[in-house]
Amino acid sequence: MSRIINVGDQLPEFVVPSVDPARMKTMAALLRDPYRVHWDRQATREMGLDGRVINQGPLNLSYIVNMLHAFAGPTSVRRLTVSFGRPVFDGDLVVAGGEVTDVQDSLLVCQVWLKRGDEIVVSGTAVVDVAALASVSL
Amino acid sequence: MSNSTSPLGYRFPGGRYTIADWENWLLTDCTTAQALPENLAHPVALFHVPILGAGTSIAELFEICGAEGPGSVGLDGYDWEYMHPLRVGIEYRMEGGIVRWENLVDERDQPYDSMSFSIEMFDGSELVARVTNTWRFRRRKVVVA
Repeated sequence: MSRIINVGDQLPEFVVPSVDPARMKTMAALLRDPYRVHWDRQATREMGLDGRVINQGPLNLSYIVNMLHAFAGPTSVRRLTVSFGRPVFDGDLVVAGGEVTDVQDSLLVCQVWLKRGDEIVVSGTAVVDVAALASVSL
Repeated sequence: MSNSTSPLGYRFPGGRYTIADWENWLLTDCTTAQALPENLAHPVALFHVPILGAGTSIAELFEICGAEGPGSVGLDGYDWEYMHPLRVGIEYRMEGGIVRWENLVDERDQPYDSMSFSIEMFDGSELVARVTNTWRFRRRKVVVA
């Protein structure tokens, strides 16, 4: 069965029901990230943030990547250009989404975002290659 | 940090990095996804692999840029290009440095320094990926009596 992709198509959403502080700790260790706001609730209390720890920017971006993988396959991502808004905290429900804005041969240009409710916390552009999806019609 | 101590032009030592299988598994799990097939590394490895592979670290970048404690560092943006998918077990070579430094003021009239660093990642002589990351270092406002 073939799939036809057009400008304006919405990408299927990727939902993270509750951002997990334990994963932030593992991520901090992998990144060798000494920034306490990701794993020490006292650090965010000092910032007036109620002791909720802040998700790493790369993890916020990773939810967008996972959405792109589900849509176009695990080797599809060619470029990610994003900017970050307000922090994402442990326990937040966030949803990654996107929309096709241009089609250039096998490359799709997509507007992408990560939302917490109606608030966009990451936004930008992704270029994905759908050449590996033989059943796609552009 | 004043203009006189700008780190613009600072070059990282450069070096090599191989993504380990266990490392990629944990990284992918942190993203809430399942492991990818065919030794593919999760694309979000393009955050820490270039930094560590280039011979620097987040801690050193904070020090070079004069980070002032919790809440003083923010992310402004990333531009990540993948010429080839990243894979586990390949020794990548990295080189890069700090390519931009600006003293700015935010919408609340608070001073900050905006820093961008760029690192290229090679497999042999072939360019595999390029990252340009922009971080914000918030500064205490100095009031002169």
